[in-house]
Amino acid sequence: MIAAAKIRTGVAGLDKMLHGGLVPGRPYILSGAPGSGKTILSVQFLREGLEGGERCLFVALEEPPNELKINMRAFRWNLDDLDVLDANSDIRRFEPTPLLEISTEEEPIKMRAIGERIRKTPDFESKEVTVHSLQQLLKNLLVKKSYERVVIDSITALKYFCMREFETALTTQSFMRYLSESKVTSLLTLELPEEGEVPPEAFLARGEFRLHKLRDETGIKRFVSVEKYKGSSHEEAVFPFEITNSGIVVNTVSKPAMAI
Amino acid sequence: MDRVKTGVAGLDTMLSGGLLPARPYVVSGPTGGGKTILSAHFLLEGLHAQEPCLLVTLDEPPIEVKSNMAVFGWNMDRLKILDATPDVRAHKRTRSVIDVGTSLDVRDMEQVTDIRQSSQVRALEVTVHSVQKMIKQEFAQHLDRTKQRYKRIVIDSMTALKMFSMHGEDSRILIQSFLRFLSELEATTLIVSEHLDRTVLETEFFLSRGEIRLHKWLDGSFIRRAVSVEKFRGSSFDDRMRPVAITAKGMVVSLDSTPQSREPSSGPKPGESLLETRIIEEVSNAIESVMRGIEEAHRRQVAIRDIEVALSRAMLAFQRRNYQKAMKLVLSCDSALKERIGVAPPPPTPTAPPRPPGGIR
Repeated sequence: MIAAAKIRTGVAGLDKMLHGGLVPGRPYILSGAPGSGKTILSVQFLREGLEGGERCLFVALEEPPNELKINMRAFRWNLDDLDVLDANSDIRRFEPTPLLEISTEEEPIKMRAIGERIRKTPDFESKEVTVHSLQQLLKNLLVKKSYERVVIDSITALKYFCMREFETALTTQSFMRYLSESKVTSLLTLELPEEGEVPPEAFLARGEFRLHKLRDETGIKRFVSVEKYKGSSHEEAVFPFEITNSGIVVNTVSKPAMAI
Repeated sequence: MDRVKTGVAGLDTMLSGGLLPARPYVVSGPTGGGKTILSAHFLLEGLHAQEPCLLVTLDEPPIEVKSNMAVFGWNMDRLKILDATPDVRAHKRTRSVIDVGTSLDVRDMEQVTDIRQSSQVRALEVTVHSVQKMIKQEFAQHLDRTKQRYKRIVIDSMTALKMFSMHGEDSRILIQSFLRFLSELEATTLIVSEHLDRTVLETEFFLSRGEIRLHKWLDGSFIRRAVSVEKFRGSSFDDRMRPVAITAKGMVVSLDSTPQSREPSSGPKPGESLLETRIIEEVSNAIESVMRGIEEAHRRQVAIRDIEVALSRAMLAFQRRNYQKAMKLVLSCDSALKERIGVAPPPPTPTAPPRPPGGIR
């Protein structure tokens, strides 16, 4: 099938489900409802890269980097060398002050250098992140720093907040297209509603891994499934996983959650 | 890291000690679920610790909030209420209630809302931006007056804010910006929001750092209540649903049990698991009936390869808990199968097609 060696996701059980890991250089979607564990898994994916000496980039569109840093502390991962790009738009001003698009010169910050407190919107100008400027910025960064792994957290935020004047479906597709052209292995998180339709972005990548969060009498049960994986075989069943002190652990030993 | 106590002891235990400071959280639940009471607990806890607290009320005029909370005998005199109900001017001024008219640069507000009325009675239109401005102004003035920053803020409710003031497609960006604004204030914020449609992904739900969900359902003639933590970034939490009682002293969460009685299957929350069991049963019955049909078709040597494929697709959907889709697929298999068997040559057995609705035994 594919000659290229697969790369590991950082979650052993998931690698098993993916029959070895991810085909490198492609974009993948990690979907799930709020609170299902997407950000944790995506940081695990980057940590795996860091351990192998790869350059990794986390593009934060949902939470400020200082919070990401604090949140990940509990796992005791060494993320010092992780590059974090703060792509959270500033507070919007409604007065006619200059609204700056995120500069194409903007630099990611090393995790170790991120402060404890949130970055404040400057008084006289606001930074706005648009999909266009972000793409431009990534283009520069990818050339300059040759990242091997990139996480976009989340593509939903990108769609909701950064595509004001763009046609969303087309723009998302072109963004994804851009990522695959740049040959970086990327993981894009996607927020799912608790019920109902899966947003169309889910179908655009080379693979989609979905985190499920279900509630029963004993609490929240979490499951992961590989919905789609082009160019590779994979497990069809849905497997349970837990968020432990050392991150996400998929249980592939026990029987699949709902095998028929 | 220090935790910010919610003021409801049981809930703090569920949250492994409390909320993480300086972040926005969502309190969701149906009308009458206790959202406002929970937020009052949160504010009261802050007041007891001498923290400056601000309630931004959009749902009820401040005077009503006050009298509602008086029922519990809480002294909330030092609570600052920012009255952002749309018809601000119509209500009397109560002590420690900030009059929007004076605390606001009215001119700016008008610029945004496009409402200019020369009469003394202004119909103030509340928008996300104007509320943001009011909070900002009050935050700055309070800092100026007392050298203290607001530690706790409650927005009651986001649902109202959206209803009153969101125009068009920009609302997501407005909420994003509003949440960013709240984060930058570095106060711990509770955003009260009714979650009406579970198929819609609301901005505040995925951007907030956590969600506390209140549940309410009718069990016979009793109202049952429960609380659950749906999401909590950066912390572990008790993921069970815990029963809640609203007593004369406010909200009490019992940790030693889970709600004994569940919602009847017609309702959505929190009888989900019961509902799920029922749906599973229904779908698997349907699948079984189709399988029996397939056996029958094999016996009659009717070509049904495509139906078998469709059925496996249905089973896949079933496995992924997409019950609706599974059911749809199964039903179409069923009708296709019936048709196929119907048009097929008469069977060797005397059993006549069309087969009875209960399936073939």
